[in-house]
Amino acid sequence: MEQLIEILSPHFLLKNTLYASLLVGLVCPQVGIFFMLRRMVLLGIALPQVSNAGIAFAFLLHSIGWHFLPHMESEKTMALAGSIVFTLITIFTLSVLERKGKGFTENRIGFTYALAGAASILFVSWNPFGQSEVLSLLKGEILSVPDAYLWSMVAIYGVIFVVLIGFHRNFILVSYDVDMATTIGKRVILWDVLLYLIIGVVISFGVMTVGALVIFGFLLIPAIAARMVTRGIFLFCIVSSVIGVVAAFLGFYVSYRFDLPTGPTDVALLCIILSLLFLGKILIKTKKNSIIGN
Amino acid sequence: MHTENCITLQDVTIGYHGNPVLRDVNFSIRKGAFTVLVGPNGSGKTTLFKTILRLIPPVCGSVIYGTGAHPRLGYVPQRMFLDEIYPFTAGEVVSMGTFGQIKPFCSISKTSRLLVEQCLKDVGLLEQKRQLFSQLSGGQKQRILIARALATEPDILLLDEPITGVDIFAQKIIMELISQLHKKHNLTVLMVTHEIHSLPHWINELLWIHDNKLNLGNMAEMLSMFTGLKT
Repeated sequence: MEQLIEILSPHFLLKNTLYASLLVGLVCPQVGIFFMLRRMVLLGIALPQVSNAGIAFAFLLHSIGWHFLPHMESEKTMALAGSIVFTLITIFTLSVLERKGKGFTENRIGFTYALAGAASILFVSWNPFGQSEVLSLLKGEILSVPDAYLWSMVAIYGVIFVVLIGFHRNFILVSYDVDMATTIGKRVILWDVLLYLIIGVVISFGVMTVGALVIFGFLLIPAIAARMVTRGIFLFCIVSSVIGVVAAFLGFYVSYRFDLPTGPTDVALLCIILSLLFLGKILIKTKKNSIIGN
Repeated sequence: MHTENCITLQDVTIGYHGNPVLRDVNFSIRKGAFTVLVGPNGSGKTTLFKTILRLIPPVCGSVIYGTGAHPRLGYVPQRMFLDEIYPFTAGEVVSMGTFGQIKPFCSISKTSRLLVEQCLKDVGLLEQKRQLFSQLSGGQKQRILIARALATEPDILLLDEPITGVDIFAQKIIMELISQLHKKHNLTVLMVTHEIHSLPHWINELLWIHDNKLNLGNMAEMLSMFTGLKT
């Protein structure tokens, strides 16, 4: 209880980390529902890996003295730029190939994952300086979120959240029934591009903050869990974010209380929530069936 | 061009990526008519249907709608092409028909909500409003998709194989429903099907694709010409 009060205090030392976790828990599931509904779960694994490769590549360039912009000193800004560029190029290339129906989706995503994984390791191994620093960034630095980074995260994730809520119907309709969307005058390509842009930015920023594993967890597990227990798309979206926020808060509390790494604790909690909901659903179904049987 | 024509195709060649599937397509659909497009698999009826729906552009020629302004199209897709992973309720599926009229950041208006309820009533499924769409029977799903098309307040109702894959009783219910809606709302209807035996005898016009040619005539003429059957 003491720790809980300490965490909720506005003077808490790691409050930025808690706020960043809650933001990830709130916004990522709203993006993740589209991964699940569009059956792009594998892409949810591959894209954080691509984002990693972008970060490692940017660090490599930075350490050999090449900057994206003149006088750009902040390696974190450069890493973020690398992550966004790599992720967006990949997601747009994959979506164009998907629309053109070239080859099999699973093959393309598998290839992307393997290539990005290998490239990340090679970029890190070629980096003459600070391999451990790069590796810690690739794992996610959830325990050290500076004020400036938190505020930029609030701004970017805030805008994305508002856009996803405000244009929810358009995103859902173009995902569910492209032909229907076209016949009622929706610009399908525009909404697809906007959605991919959002996915790219959320993943890039999230991987930099909490790491690839945590982002994958928060993108998909809340959506899968909410899908099992909700009826109706509106409720599904709300419950996804509620699960994300609850897991982020509990994960932070448990990790602080028992001195565990925050990211993996968050993901483990998400898995426990998913398992409990699954078991609860089976129990309710069994009970209903036995009542009908009697 | 006759102004009472709802859709007119002039010297149209249809196809994909510039490759023609059907050439020299010329016909008009009158306002308020019930037209059925039939033809064997691979004959190009879906391509023609999608061209009329503006989903794919014609290779050449022009598709003219009524007086020139774009009409509201009430599209009913084949239900098997809609993914059941989406946890929509039946009511939510029907409300998609109103999405063209709702502005971003606004909730569904009371008028739209009433329209959705009316459409559900029209197809006889108001009680199933809160049920999951994925848990409905094939025939019920098809009726929900018809309600969704009605919620767009369409000038033309376009149905893609609405009675395919459902049992004979459901086929009868769906055909009666479409006929009722056609009469009640004086709707122009264009329906694609290969289930010729389920078509009612009073249908105005039949578009029959045979040997890469499109033939237009009334039901009796077309049936006797291509199948030797008499209505």
